[in-house]
Amino acid sequence: MITLEFIINILSLGSLYAMLALGLVIVYGILRLVNFAYGELIMVGGYTMYLVTLYTPLPWLAVAIVAVLAVMLTSLFTELVAFRPVREKSLTAMLITSFAVSTLLQNGALLIISPRARAVTLPQIFQTSVMIAGTSVPWRNILTILTCILTLALLTLLLRRTVLGIALRAAADNFKMTRMLGVPANTVISTAFAISGIMAGIVSIFWIGRSASVTPTIGMPPLLVAFVATVIGGMNSLTGAVVGGFVYAITISLLGVILPPGMVEFREAFMFAFVIIVLLFRPEGLIRSKTSVERVG
Amino acid sequence: MKLAARLKPFNTPLTLVAAVLAIALLTQLLDISLLTRIVTVMFVSLMLVLGLQLYMGNSGILNFAHIGFMGIGAYTAVIFSMTPEAKLLTNSDLYPFLVPLHLPFLPSLLIGGLVAAALASIVSYPLMRLSDAAAVITSFALLVIIHVVLLHWDRVSNGPRTLFGVDNYTTLWVSVAFAVITIFAVYLFKESSIGLRLRASRDDRYAAASIGINMVVMRWLAFMTSAFIAGVGGGLWAHFITSFKPYAFYLSETFVVLAMLVIGGPYSVSGAVVGTLVVTAAREVLRGIENQVNILQLFPEGFFGFTEVVLSIVLILILVYRPTGIMGGRELHWPRRRQARSAETNQPENNIS
Amino acid sequence: MLELNEVHARYEAIIALRGVSINVGQGELVALLGVNGAGKSTTLGCIAGILRPWQGGVTFEGGSIVGKSPEQIARLGISLVPEGRDIFPSLTVEENLRLGAFTRREKTEYRRNLDEVYDLFPVLKERLQQPGGTLSGGEQQQLAIARALMSSPRLLMLDEPSLGLAPALVDQIFELIARLHQRGVTILLVEQNVHRCLEIVDRAYLMNTGLIESKGTAQQLRENTDIEGIYLGMQGQTKK
Repeated sequence: MITLEFIINILSLGSLYAMLALGLVIVYGILRLVNFAYGELIMVGGYTMYLVTLYTPLPWLAVAIVAVLAVMLTSLFTELVAFRPVREKSLTAMLITSFAVSTLLQNGALLIISPRARAVTLPQIFQTSVMIAGTSVPWRNILTILTCILTLALLTLLLRRTVLGIALRAAADNFKMTRMLGVPANTVISTAFAISGIMAGIVSIFWIGRSASVTPTIGMPPLLVAFVATVIGGMNSLTGAVVGGFVYAITISLLGVILPPGMVEFREAFMFAFVIIVLLFRPEGLIRSKTSVERVG
Repeated sequence: MKLAARLKPFNTPLTLVAAVLAIALLTQLLDISLLTRIVTVMFVSLMLVLGLQLYMGNSGILNFAHIGFMGIGAYTAVIFSMTPEAKLLTNSDLYPFLVPLHLPFLPSLLIGGLVAAALASIVSYPLMRLSDAAAVITSFALLVIIHVVLLHWDRVSNGPRTLFGVDNYTTLWVSVAFAVITIFAVYLFKESSIGLRLRASRDDRYAAASIGINMVVMRWLAFMTSAFIAGVGGGLWAHFITSFKPYAFYLSETFVVLAMLVIGGPYSVSGAVVGTLVVTAAREVLRGIENQVNILQLFPEGFFGFTEVVLSIVLILILVYRPTGIMGGRELHWPRRRQARSAETNQPENNIS
Repeated sequence: MLELNEVHARYEAIIALRGVSINVGQGELVALLGVNGAGKSTTLGCIAGILRPWQGGVTFEGGSIVGKSPEQIARLGISLVPEGRDIFPSLTVEENLRLGAFTRREKTEYRRNLDEVYDLFPVLKERLQQPGGTLSGGEQQQLAIARALMSSPRLLMLDEPSLGLAPALVDQIFELIARLHQRGVTILLVEQNVHRCLEIVDRAYLMNTGLIESKGTAQQLRENTDIEGIYLGMQGQTKK
């Protein structure tokens, strides 16, 4: 039953979920904020692709880049306008704010564009497959895996080799101390939101690439996935987020195969029940890590 | 003389109830069916918001699962209140043992509340020991679980399909009655020793622990009570709307109830009441605008979501500029009394504000 | 150089400082002494920008720093090594130091500070690539101070650097502080270890429940028997 096709599917799904979880954790690590509006960033990516292909003759790669930029800017904008003013107040205020921003973005799309689904033109390559070892593998899956590897490599480079990256990791360890060394809080947080936006933008390309359409509510399922993957992996650790994404992909695929027909629809409920159990017994996540090395990045 | 003195500590709930009754009377007199509908559902919402206030206001913790318990209460109540024939008509797949169950309206509501509370008590006891951040995440996970279960457990909830044929037992005065009872209940809880102890541990858990307050038990009691109120409120709502789907008990409704509470002010009972009134009025106005624009066909794709956009912007503004809400943690009194702020505020020392 | 004038501060309802006035001159080594809860850390917090005094003034090199953010205060050259060290456990020793130099990243200055730090703390040079969390308590304390030095601080503030360290290490730390003092670094030191402190500092303030109870040169305070009364039982030593 474990065919090459199955393996590549899981790797591709895992790559997608890993990038998804990364974008959520990078903000959580510093602010302890679960950004409920994160899912909507993917929606923004989808609508950007829709609008740009509709109104401009740009080639698909350019459309993708514009989409990622648009999502990054949206993320930065929400930080500036909604999160920064409430940051000093309390975590609860930030959480409610993120929920409000999520509702705002969703209904904004509803209002400005349409409640109905919009078709997004996909590049030719997303519809073709290639033959590997006798199995037909969609190019889309391979691209997802490659993009994930590239993104992780770039991110690791940023976090380990640049002062800003070091500051980000330090902020996840101890935000107050980072500020006391003279690192501006706003710079660190904006960078985190920017990275979060870039990750969401990249994910949106491949997420929409699976369904070829975008609706105002398309952000909810990825948010839930990111959520679970983050908790499983340990909410403080970027490596944990990546692992969590893969674990989620493997688990949900296996559950889809193992569970009898009556129970299969409850997969998500099982995953979330698992989340609660993890939070109760191992809040630092399933990934065993020395407090030192594996914490962030 | 004696009566007035005895009533004095109940000034706030009586004032709030007076306001509620005044609105109800006015609605009854005007006898405009649309208005009656709006006001009826407003009082049901009020019950839900009050239930949330009981937990959030006293413990300071955000509870996303609240509307999930509303859903549980709704589905449970209709299973008992509908006749076997009506049940089979809407859901032919219903579990056989559920079909013959039939009880009058009130007991059905109460059972709905009790089931919600029972689930809350089982699930929440281990959860209450979590840190605040983890507790919020967990409550969100709980909401999702409840939603997925309601969405897929066809043999109980009719799955994603509409459950129809519920009797319209929730009239204006029924919802008023429950609203009034809930106002008293939530206020009494707040002023009770449990409420006091909960707020003490909200403000400083270490100090509270050192004088023997068991925070876990206090939170658990509040959570259970809050879930009970949500369950009964859900049952009431089901018997008003008479047909519904699981999506009614998910994020949109959570947003509305949360907005009502936060805008009104989460740290006082009056905040819950004021918030519900203000937001309901605002929503109706905004919805009216939406409908007008749609009638005039100004937007080719339809003008939807305007209400929610405005509401979310208002919510963000409140969080930025007046995080303690309209009431700012204070309770309403009649007549308005002046008192030293420090004695009066119920807001926590270091939450939200 | 640094002056606090009738500073009042509180944490919500708890009043922590009830009118604290101290000053530190350039090149001085001044100590803030007192038992737990006296308000020593709070005072440092007010200077570092972590806590905002609701009354009173704090001036540094002539300018008021009340209400400035921690980042701004760090850029002015005030460096705080908090109680509990607060090194970054998941960053390597080198990364910790590099971040410490955030406000002084210019190449030659960075190299100079790094060499000085290696000279003062040879053990850190050995452990350069190790994550901070794997260091021992004493090594972490050294890293915390080294990190603070990387920013060429004009005022170095140390909050209980000897806390939780073995006696041999305590000696090392106090020796180090004395050496830094000799090199001309202005230091404000908070400590519970009164005797060791008074051996190396120029002046000291004694705090009690949010107020300065007594002040003077080390000599003056040493002759003051009130200190013994406060610390009797705390240090387990009696003078008489």
